[in-house]
Amino acid sequence: MSRGTATERVVPTPLVVSSRQRRLVAGDRVFEGLAVGAAIVILLIAAVFVLALFVPALPAITKFGFGFLTSSTWDPVRLQFGALPAIYGTLLTSAIGLLIAFPIGIGAALFLAEEARLGLLRGPLSFAVELLAGIPSVVIGLWAFFILTPLMRDNVDPFLSHTLGFLPFFQGSASGYGFLTAGVVLAIMVLPILIALSRDVIRAVPRSLREASLALGATKAETVWSVVLPYARVGITGAVLLALGRALGETIAVTMVIGNRPQITASLYAQGYTLPSVIANEFTEAVGNLYQGALFELGLILVLITIIVNVAARILVWRFTGSAPVRV
Amino acid sequence: MKRILIALSVGASVLLAACGGTTGATNPSTGGPTVVPPAASLTGAGATFPAPFYSAAFYVYNQRYSQVTVNYQSVGSGAGIQQLTKKTVDFGASDVPMSATELAAAGGPDAVVQIATTLGTVSLAYNLPGVSNGQLKLTPDTIAGIFLGKIKKWNDPALAADNSGVSLPNQAITVVHRSDGSGTSYIFTDYLSAVSADWKSGPGKGKSINWPVGQGAKGNEAVATTIKQTPGAIGYVELAYVLQTGMTQASLKNKDGNFVVPSEAGATAAAKEFPNVTPSQFSIVNAPGKDSAPITGYSWLMLYKDEADKTKGTALVDLLYWLITEGQQYGSNTHYAKLPSAMVKNDVISLKTVTSGGSALLTVPTPS
Repeated sequence: MSRGTATERVVPTPLVVSSRQRRLVAGDRVFEGLAVGAAIVILLIAAVFVLALFVPALPAITKFGFGFLTSSTWDPVRLQFGALPAIYGTLLTSAIGLLIAFPIGIGAALFLAEEARLGLLRGPLSFAVELLAGIPSVVIGLWAFFILTPLMRDNVDPFLSHTLGFLPFFQGSASGYGFLTAGVVLAIMVLPILIALSRDVIRAVPRSLREASLALGATKAETVWSVVLPYARVGITGAVLLALGRALGETIAVTMVIGNRPQITASLYAQGYTLPSVIANEFTEAVGNLYQGALFELGLILVLITIIVNVAARILVWRFTGSAPVRV
Repeated sequence: MKRILIALSVGASVLLAACGGTTGATNPSTGGPTVVPPAASLTGAGATFPAPFYSAAFYVYNQRYSQVTVNYQSVGSGAGIQQLTKKTVDFGASDVPMSATELAAAGGPDAVVQIATTLGTVSLAYNLPGVSNGQLKLTPDTIAGIFLGKIKKWNDPALAADNSGVSLPNQAITVVHRSDGSGTSYIFTDYLSAVSADWKSGPGKGKSINWPVGQGAKGNEAVATTIKQTPGAIGYVELAYVLQTGMTQASLKNKDGNFVVPSEAGATAAAKEFPNVTPSQFSIVNAPGKDSAPITGYSWLMLYKDEADKTKGTALVDLLYWLITEGQQYGSNTHYAKLPSAMVKNDVISLKTVTSGGSALLTVPTPS
């Protein structure tokens, strides 16, 4: 009798395990061990990373406590540090960036994924998106510094004041450097991520769903609105999260246009500061445990904000769809 | 192959013998000694402000003595001091001498020798169409007023009082300052603290401070560009950048009451007024003297007093001796002011205290 499986199947607990099976089991064990090990390494790296920020930040954490998060003073001379303006600036500029980038990004992604008549255009357009993604942030920063800031000051800001000036966000004198310009720069930087990922997600919507919708008499717009987008919502949320992550951490391009002033104002024209910008600006000349600790604590806060934003968005998606967003 | 190796090793030993230390022969042209430094590869790190001067000077030095290579990384004064403390570099550089705490971390108040290598002076550059270079006159009071945010418009009576004949517009003043920690900011705020009680009790002095008004830009270049792009802007910029980029800068009223346009000569003149500068008493802002540029400061370089490696130590003090004497001329292309002779003398005295294994490494006579 060959080492068939039929007899073994009827035996509830095989007393003899074939060498091949043993090898397989051993192989599984090794693989399982490797996979678990890799997962633990990732966790360890994350833990070490947070710890490496936490330990040098301790002098500032013990000195200022919770007040570090609520104080608006940043005075290296008197060693009084508060992170609130930088937190505000980081969240505000990222929000502006996503607000601008989201409609454009989804629109462009739909166009690239859905418009069948594109033909020759699709290739160059997709290439342009990838090209935009490949531009280093310092180059975008340079462009923004030299071209965008005067443009904002002389054209965009006066236009906004003229049309939306009744809102507190568009009041005050515009210098071209500030939250709004930084937000526009961030929008430009996150657009390629949003477009490329959303395009792929939209393309992945099953053709049968579209056809079913069209067969029921829905127009193309109706199909996109009530079939394609709801189906792709989870994936698009993932794309937005990734874009948000980039916006929160962007340093050099924002530093060049935000005006680097630790203040909290409603006016988007005003100069502000972001967490990464403070670190980048002051780290080289920061002397003393407390000063350096304050900068490390800013880094820690940035990491925590990124985590919180991610978790919050994930919970939102779970609430709406009952499933986790696609990891991208 | 073997022959080549032998030839190489012979050549190398001849070379080593040739550069085997400092000789005391006198150089007829400069009166200083002709120093033949030993072969060494030196690394330094620190302040960004003197970096163009150091690069130019170290390049010339390497052309002259090819056996000495110097690698200077302009990573910032704070990082330079830290790297010196951790002994990962042979010398550090900073726009502000090391503090008592920093010295303690580096091994005590006498462990480190600090010498002044060059002078920096700060200009107030502005963007006022129709007001030409040097035409705008600023006094200590108006400078402090502008940077405290008390003078908000260009046609403020306080400004107009000093600037009769200049048409100052009814325009808001945009103050631009450095956002990154910098020696330039230190010198400027040191000056403001010296001339204004309000400033001293308010923002104070430091490489990074809490600015009452204005917007920050990262680096001299970004401050300069922001001013150029923004009509009505004023900011403090290192003189070198003002001259290199052709910006308009203000005449500044110095302690003697003269309006001077900051220049290299003005910086040296100001430094001459303080012959007794030491690393702990280093401020030379608001100098007396009719030609003195008021917002001036030294840039410093530090090395360990006891050099572990004698060859490297010898090469280092030879290099630094050259830098503060002959090397000074190579700063002029990049608009660095020369050290006054009193400071050179102080530096030489300091360098002569550097030892290795108990013996002094620099054997030149102290200039009179």
